[in-house]
Amino acid sequence: MNIQFLKELAATNQWHWILPEIILALLGVSVLLMDLFFRGDKDKKIAIVSIGAQFLVLFYFINNFSFMNSPDTVYAFSDMLKQNAFGNWCRVFFIICSILVSSLGVLYLKKNKLPSTEFYSLVLIATASLMIMVQSSHLLLLFITLETATVAFYVLISYGRNSSLSLEAGLKYLILGGTSSAILMLGIVLLYGVAGNPSMTGYSTDSMNFKELGHFISLNQGSSLLIAGVLLVIAGFCFKIAVVPFQIWVPDVYQGAPTPIAAFLGVASKASGFFVLINLLTGPFVHLKEILVPFLSVIAIGSILFGNIAAVTQRNVKRLMGLSGVAHAGYLMIGLVASFSVETHYIIYFYLLTYLLASFSVFGVMCSVSELDARQELEDYEDLAKSNTFLGFILIVGLGSLAGIPPLAGFIAKLLLFITAIKVKLYLLVAVAVIGVVISIYYYFGWIREATFRIFRIEDENNKHVSKDYESDLSAYHKILFGFVAILSIVFGLFQTVFRGFIW
Amino acid sequence: MSVGLNHYLVVSGMLFAIGFFGVLLRKNVIFIFMCIELMLTAVNVMLIAFSKFNGVGDGLIFVFFTITVAAAEVAIGLAIIVALYKKRQTIMVDEINQLKN
Repeated sequence: MNIQFLKELAATNQWHWILPEIILALLGVSVLLMDLFFRGDKDKKIAIVSIGAQFLVLFYFINNFSFMNSPDTVYAFSDMLKQNAFGNWCRVFFIICSILVSSLGVLYLKKNKLPSTEFYSLVLIATASLMIMVQSSHLLLLFITLETATVAFYVLISYGRNSSLSLEAGLKYLILGGTSSAILMLGIVLLYGVAGNPSMTGYSTDSMNFKELGHFISLNQGSSLLIAGVLLVIAGFCFKIAVVPFQIWVPDVYQGAPTPIAAFLGVASKASGFFVLINLLTGPFVHLKEILVPFLSVIAIGSILFGNIAAVTQRNVKRLMGLSGVAHAGYLMIGLVASFSVETHYIIYFYLLTYLLASFSVFGVMCSVSELDARQELEDYEDLAKSNTFLGFILIVGLGSLAGIPPLAGFIAKLLLFITAIKVKLYLLVAVAVIGVVISIYYYFGWIREATFRIFRIEDENNKHVSKDYESDLSAYHKILFGFVAILSIVFGLFQTVFRGFIW
Repeated sequence: MSVGLNHYLVVSGMLFAIGFFGVLLRKNVIFIFMCIELMLTAVNVMLIAFSKFNGVGDGLIFVFFTITVAAAEVAIGLAIIVALYKKRQTIMVDEINQLKN
């Protein structure tokens, strides 16, 4: 190893490619410092700084729109980081997500009288690491960024320190998350060991790199240790995206976690798992089609059926959102299965984007309505639409989009996904998914019915339930934000021409 | 008899299995937590063995990252367990069951 080699290596450390992540991570650390220096209405000032800076990062991406559509791929940091148009779209996704989570956090923290600085700090750091994770092209970087985000999630889920439910949810996520990262690690190490073995054909000295790993897998498709490693890595990510049989934590953790964090977990964590899986399945694992297609199909069918059937009986809306999220992960798995035959990156992206808009509409209403965080029963939403039309409208748009009702974006996303699946002849999966959608309409509309038609409820003698008052004290910022998110759900349902450039 | 790669793999595989079944079967949260650490340690042993027998050093660097991750997980995990114990006066998983439908 000579000095020239090291120089070449150092030249690939092009920090400007990850400028947004650096800004977010530095901001995440510096809000902790600002906490010491700010006087007066500290919570408000810190919220303004952190949300404002996230908007600036979002504008940075909008400003550099051309580099989000450029067809070329950049490798930086000794091929650890792979940047292309899809990666940039994923980064925008996480920025939007973290803006919304922070904005919901403002509502939640004020209502529950919790310290706010650490909340924004951890959300920013988790976002930065998720943004790097979707661009990583090396198993080491993938593992480290995944763990950074996961450790931040452990703290965020148990953020309601005064509530034993929040702590219990944190503990459950911690135990299962720790187990899943150990399983992921085992998979990574098996891949590293097998692909680096000098006695195998096509072995590599940098066997954790996706390119080298892909080359090795294409030459040794029959090695059983290799297949075990691939399956373990996929299993580790299946925990992230919460699909059967790794979904057991979902209802409890969603119920106990603070509402904004349940949204963060349901959208950003799930999306990051899918973005990484699509990168893996179309990158290094692409040659294992024969083994992975049945494996992923079984997972997809299991998740669609389990998620939808289990959600039917739920009375707690947070558990309901969690279990319906399992079903949505099942639909997205169809996209992953199809990715072996046809390009589905942007269909999965579009589906997740509509899922983000719809979920945050619903979780926004949940944050505005709820008094007690872990006791979000369906009954709490009785008559919402009549006493607060604005929130009722947002809830109906969000739930309708999740259920896939035609004028809304969720319908188009499902349609695109199913059309793609039919094109590559995955008829069984589409049939199961359609059955799942039908079941899901039952429980989503049960919630809408609860919010709109009081008339169907048998009232008790003293009309205790009826005198609900949903006077929420939403600020103008939140009203505009929620309204905008709901409107986007409608707009994307009617006009997808914005996306034509890259979906079709 | 010389110690080869397979010996290391068998030992670390056994350690991993002990840890995995410990997580599934144990009732005390502290034991569960130790079992998670055991799994990560097993992976570290495997990583070092592969690194040695493949003749590349990057596995050894990976071990540092894994240890750091495990340490961060322990720090946060114990904090959560202590906070939960203060609230609930128990660390047995079958008594931590307030979250239900």
